[in-house]
Amino acid sequence: MNVHRVQQERKQLFEAVYNGIIPRRVPIMANLPIEFCIQYAGLPLAETQWTLDGIEDALDKACKIVGSDYYPFGFMRFPAPLQILGSRGFVMGSNGFIQHPEVTGMEVDEYDDFIKNPYDCILEKILPRLYPELDADPVTRSLIFAKAFKAHYDYQEFFMKIEAKMVQKYGFYTAPKGSLAAVTVPFDFLADFLRGFKGISMDVRRCPQKILEACEAVLPLQIKKGMPKRPSKYGQTFIPLHMGPYLRTSDFEKLYWPTFSKMVQIFSDAGQPCRLFCEHDWMRYLDYLQELPENTRLHFEYGDPKLVKEKLGKKHIISGFYPLTYLKTATKQQCIDKAKELIDVLAPGGKYVFAFDKSPVSLDSVDINNYIAVLEYIVQNTEYASAGELAPAVDKTVDKPAVTKEIPIFKSKYCRTWEEYKKGRPAIIAGLEHVIASKMQNYEDMLFDMISRLM
Amino acid sequence: MENLKAVTQAMGNLDEAKLMNIINDFVSKNPAKGEVLEVIKACQDGMAIVGKLYEEDEYFVSDLVFSGELMTEAINILKPFIGDTSMVKVGSIVLGTVHGDMHDIGKNIFKSMVEAAGFKVYDLGIDQPASAFVEKVKEVKPDIVGLSGVLTLALESMKDTVAEIKEAGLRGNVKIIIGGNPVTKEACERIGADAFTTSAAEGVRICQKWIKV
Ligand code: B12
Repeated sequence: MNVHRVQQERKQLFEAVYNGIIPRRVPIMANLPIEFCIQYAGLPLAETQWTLDGIEDALDKACKIVGSDYYPFGFMRFPAPLQILGSRGFVMGSNGFIQHPEVTGMEVDEYDDFIKNPYDCILEKILPRLYPELDADPVTRSLIFAKAFKAHYDYQEFFMKIEAKMVQKYGFYTAPKGSLAAVTVPFDFLADFLRGFKGISMDVRRCPQKILEACEAVLPLQIKKGMPKRPSKYGQTFIPLHMGPYLRTSDFEKLYWPTFSKMVQIFSDAGQPCRLFCEHDWMRYLDYLQELPENTRLHFEYGDPKLVKEKLGKKHIISGFYPLTYLKTATKQQCIDKAKELIDVLAPGGKYVFAFDKSPVSLDSVDINNYIAVLEYIVQNTEYASAGELAPAVDKTVDKPAVTKEIPIFKSKYCRTWEEYKKGRPAIIAGLEHVIASKMQNYEDMLFDMISRLM
Repeated sequence: MENLKAVTQAMGNLDEAKLMNIINDFVSKNPAKGEVLEVIKACQDGMAIVGKLYEEDEYFVSDLVFSGELMTEAINILKPFIGDTSMVKVGSIVLGTVHGDMHDIGKNIFKSMVEAAGFKVYDLGIDQPASAFVEKVKEVKPDIVGLSGVLTLALESMKDTVAEIKEAGLRGNVKIIIGGNPVTKEACERIGADAFTTSAAEGVRICQKWIKV
């Protein structure tokens, strides 16, 4: 196998799809979580997440089965910084999986405080609740944070090195450097860590106006998190959508949709496409999704592929729908037939990337042989006769105008730009400013990124 | 109380302001126990409407969660008027979410409804190992054990839990009911429980039948 050629081919597949051109065949994005790989290699799950011993071999082993064109490994939650901070919102269960239990970082009577300045409120009040080790005197708190920062970047660096190696060794496609990001939409951010599932459900009924204001207030922060250093049409901002399907359509329209659509539009205006994971069933919301900027990447879990292709297939890039549970319960032939059935619906006209509906979290959730067989089938049987042609596109004239062109400005005293920093500090060595500025900004960004990963 | 229909309807509509108005008004007149029980029944009928609207895609999970909270709120206002001393509990239940699973919204809805029906509930909380159920059963000798879970893996945990109850020699003393979205008849048989349900209201009826109230 000539890795370089494989890589070039894969690059062409994705770039074609992202450019609205019919690719040579259907590209594959099959994600294998690190937890899955650890189990697959027969390593102890909890311990290995801590020590990282043997992970490189484990991922290497997983690369041999995965058959994904896109780099397959997601990120893992890092146990050491979570432990140092005393995390309540991500905890390792007895089975070794780090999960997200229900937490409430903010009480209902604190909305106004949050709305005034979300980031200040998060750092001052909310983080110390979600991470009680931070609920300490200022000296202890800064020491704890320093430890967590170091631990976080130790793990991060470790995985980035492995990524580079695996990409080189197996020729996976990856987005251009600095063009990946992940973030949640304002409503989900409120639900997941501030109010909890229960709390937000109460608020939807009792104080919807506060939710609305809080969503608007937190939008600049979420945009800052989700805007990568170098936006690219080949990169993506990943947005896992959570609460939408659990709301009534009227609540969705009123509370969830406005800041969600604004956010996607703002990224798009900056040249950065989004990949939305539409958790659960989004069929009620197809008309809304239709309004998002062209070439938004939509990954579906459940629903009707045919309807989606009809309604959204020309405007957006579709993936998902393949029921992962099938790989466990059906025969090999049935699994392949299922792939064929989906391909027949979703592949025509391009703008389609194969993906399972969700990632296999635990080893026993799939039959590996079926997994391999399905991906092999796709590599071998999905060539387009019309490769290279333009994919049929939407009639641009029916497009709604962009929601907004203005990027709201993020402001907090806890996250300063170089200019702001410099103001009180005149004694910067002349001639070195550009060097110092970029160093200082880099550390500021690293801290911001780390904090973003905590919620 | 002539307003029973209005109670049911306000609950069904998830109209908190209206429901609380009626109930607060009602308790301000220092009602008799029998009347209070009727109002609780009316609330439960309202919950059944909520369940029905959920099945019909009028309501969604978030609305169910809200309904659970409303129910609890209503019960909390009404409870003092049932009078604790005069109130002989009709039966007792050890309830919890099984190990590996941290979801408790459904469990809590069931809890407030079955409490309203006069059961004493010992709520263990979430992510409870089988041993916790065994210990509690030994301690309080309940009539019923209720296991809740919504993760697929919860079914395995339910199986463990029932097995340990059996091993401890306690299986003959209790009825076991399992609840949560993934439970099915097949799962129930495999797990070795006595009953299963994906509806809290049905769960209450099953428990009542067992205790014969
Ligand atoms: C709310 C929710 C959460 C909340 C939980 C809040 C809380 N306090 O419970 C949060 C956001 C914290 C959460 C976290 C997670 N979740 Co979750 N969550 C849900 C969601 C949206 C709703 C579940 C729910 O409450 N339903 C409403 C209640 C009322 O229904 P119910 O439980 O069935 O209860 C009714 C009846 O069954 C009955 N009943 C219930 N228990 C009992 C007991 C008895 C004895 C009786 C008689 C009756 C009874 O009464 C109720 C009323 O009628 C579902 C998706 C969905 N559509 O179901 C996912 C879902 C259950 N979650 C899922 C997952 C994967 C997770 C996480 C693992 C995510 C993660 N990566 O960390 C973590 C779980 C951590 C853990 N180990 O548990 C998956 C499960 C996948 C699977 N097949 O196993 C689901 C299906 C989402 C999905 N599509 O992937 N989740």
